[in-house]
Amino acid sequence: MGYDMTLLKLAIKSTLNRKASVLLTLCTIAISVMLLLSIERVRHDAKSSFSNTISGTDLIVGARTGDIQLLLSSVFRIGHTNNAVSWKSYLDIKERKGVAWTIPISLGDSHKGHAVLGTDATYFTHYRYGKKQHLAFQNGRAFHNAQEVVLGSDVANKLHYHIGQQIVISHGMGNTSFHHHDDNPMTIVGILAPTGTPVDKTLHIPLIAVDAMHKPSHTQPMMIGKKPQQNDHAQHQHAEDHNSHHNEHDEHDEHDEHDEHGHPHGTLDSEPSDLVGSPNQITAFLMGFDSPLYTLQVRRNINMYKAEPLLAIMPGLTLRELWEMLDIVEKILLLFSIVVVLVSLLGMLTTLLATLSQRRRELAILRSVGARPIHIFALMSSEAILITFMGCLAGCFLFYGLLFTANPLLQSQFGISLTIGWLSNYELTLLGVIMSAGTLMGLLPAARAYFYSLADGMSIKI
Amino acid sequence: MITITDLIHTWPTQSHPTLNIKALHIDKGERVFLHGPSGCGKSTLLGLLAGINALQSGQIKILNTDLSTIKNAHKDRFRADHIGTIFQSFNLLPYLNPLENVTLGCEFSKQRRKRLTDKKTDMTTEATRLLKALGLNDSQLTQHVSKLSIGQQQRVAAARALIGEPELIIADEPTSSLDEDSRHAFIETLFNQAGDYQASVLFVSHDKSLASLFDRQISLLDINGV
Repeated sequence: MGYDMTLLKLAIKSTLNRKASVLLTLCTIAISVMLLLSIERVRHDAKSSFSNTISGTDLIVGARTGDIQLLLSSVFRIGHTNNAVSWKSYLDIKERKGVAWTIPISLGDSHKGHAVLGTDATYFTHYRYGKKQHLAFQNGRAFHNAQEVVLGSDVANKLHYHIGQQIVISHGMGNTSFHHHDDNPMTIVGILAPTGTPVDKTLHIPLIAVDAMHKPSHTQPMMIGKKPQQNDHAQHQHAEDHNSHHNEHDEHDEHDEHDEHGHPHGTLDSEPSDLVGSPNQITAFLMGFDSPLYTLQVRRNINMYKAEPLLAIMPGLTLRELWEMLDIVEKILLLFSIVVVLVSLLGMLTTLLATLSQRRRELAILRSVGARPIHIFALMSSEAILITFMGCLAGCFLFYGLLFTANPLLQSQFGISLTIGWLSNYELTLLGVIMSAGTLMGLLPAARAYFYSLADGMSIKI
Repeated sequence: MITITDLIHTWPTQSHPTLNIKALHIDKGERVFLHGPSGCGKSTLLGLLAGINALQSGQIKILNTDLSTIKNAHKDRFRADHIGTIFQSFNLLPYLNPLENVTLGCEFSKQRRKRLTDKKTDMTTEATRLLKALGLNDSQLTQHVSKLSIGQQQRVAAARALIGEPELIIADEPTSSLDEDSRHAFIETLFNQAGDYQASVLFVSHDKSLASLFDRQISLLDINGV
């Protein structure tokens, strides 16, 4: 009766008496717990953010490549598709029975390292992400003609663009744009609300604008909206500057922004006009069906399409496949953090064992006042439990501290939005496992102390 | 108080017994000085009396309880209730203040606490009284034990042994780290407090100069037949 309280009080006081070593042990446990929780939270949220990239789309159709390659290029804007879908095939498939909507997409161009996506008005009405959320405008509206552009939220933030500003979009990929002038730039008419998906990092332009850039008549990479007569001028100047071309890239990049020019093109109150034009081909298209029953049937038909080799994938399925490929990385990360926790617990074990021999006198005194070996055992193990518990608690505090500070960075840099909520059941289980491991570790020095106290009796003299 | 008959004890690592005591008797209230050179088995005998070392052969009776007949858990409780111990040095837990070190003597013993209740006092009051009677002042009661002199630390240890009035006080060379004046003063105050309730004192030392202060002197070499 009352012994438990006495032992706990003794354990706390004894632990506090060895502040320095206990504090160090506590710190290593806290940091490792923080690390484990952070890695697990990032892992979990990256996974859900990943699978939320696209939703509500039944099929993605592109030229025949690999499932994952098509997904990466059409949804994540990673890699290139060398082949394209002919506009004729698109129109043909679009008319199939059960097709509710289609979104044509044309990729391959960039603006200051951000992907440029050509599409039509259906993109803003049918593209969905996350939990079947539609795209929303943070500012402005969808494009109405070939001179208008809609930005993803990250693009606008990073490049400090605003509605009404005029920018030049050049043909080609990469961070440095081709030689161009500031004539007839495109007007920013809309900025999308953040989605946490690659949409945020994309500039959206009408298909007709993409088509204009890719016209075979242009032997020279060209800019949207450029007057034909000035194209010759550009070509001429390009030839003149040929030798110093590379050196000028940076300079030209500096000229990408045009907000001070105030060109009359692309006014914000424009009337809707043709957004598609007559493209020869597109990169891919997204499809939605009236009923899921059509999905498999149409997919089969597309994969056996006679006119050209096409590939239709179900994005949910392919996303899952892709994530499974990343599984190994995920597992290695988890393994690393588990090892870190284990090392910190071993550190605690070392400290407890090292101080044990110094504490044999203390244990003999406790024995002399009537403490039984089992009390000594309880005292020693409760110290380990106490240290682990405090370490876990401090680790949780550090974890939340890190979460609050790192969240904006992760959001802006990687598009991963971490959930700042209570610990999930999974995370609590992890903590439980650490607690049990810490307790088990504590049993070792406790058992040694138990046998010391049996053998030493009261004769120990240090 | 203590009756030992035919006690033989051999440590597992040794081939010859360390102790072989035919008979020893100590009365209630008696102050006994047990002396002998290092390694003659003094500590082994104390361990056996305290019930920490297991009895191999023979009989030890304390307060009419035969230690060979009771279980280990019972022995621990018996020790907590009836025996107060003072060590040679490093007697105190460094993380408890003097007052807490003294009350620790009661923490594991219901009976010691009951005796305090019977005396209409509590652990802290009694600890304070004992510490003051043994010569500590108010400010020393709660300061860090490392700030006390060795002599003061031994007084705290004595108070811990005495609190709750255990019938037997075992002192294992408690004065060896004290100078001569302090030794005498320490033993006197110990006797005073133990005498208050007729406790027996078994004082173990190799320093014969203290022997004259005791009721009886026993040389372990004389009674140990090994």
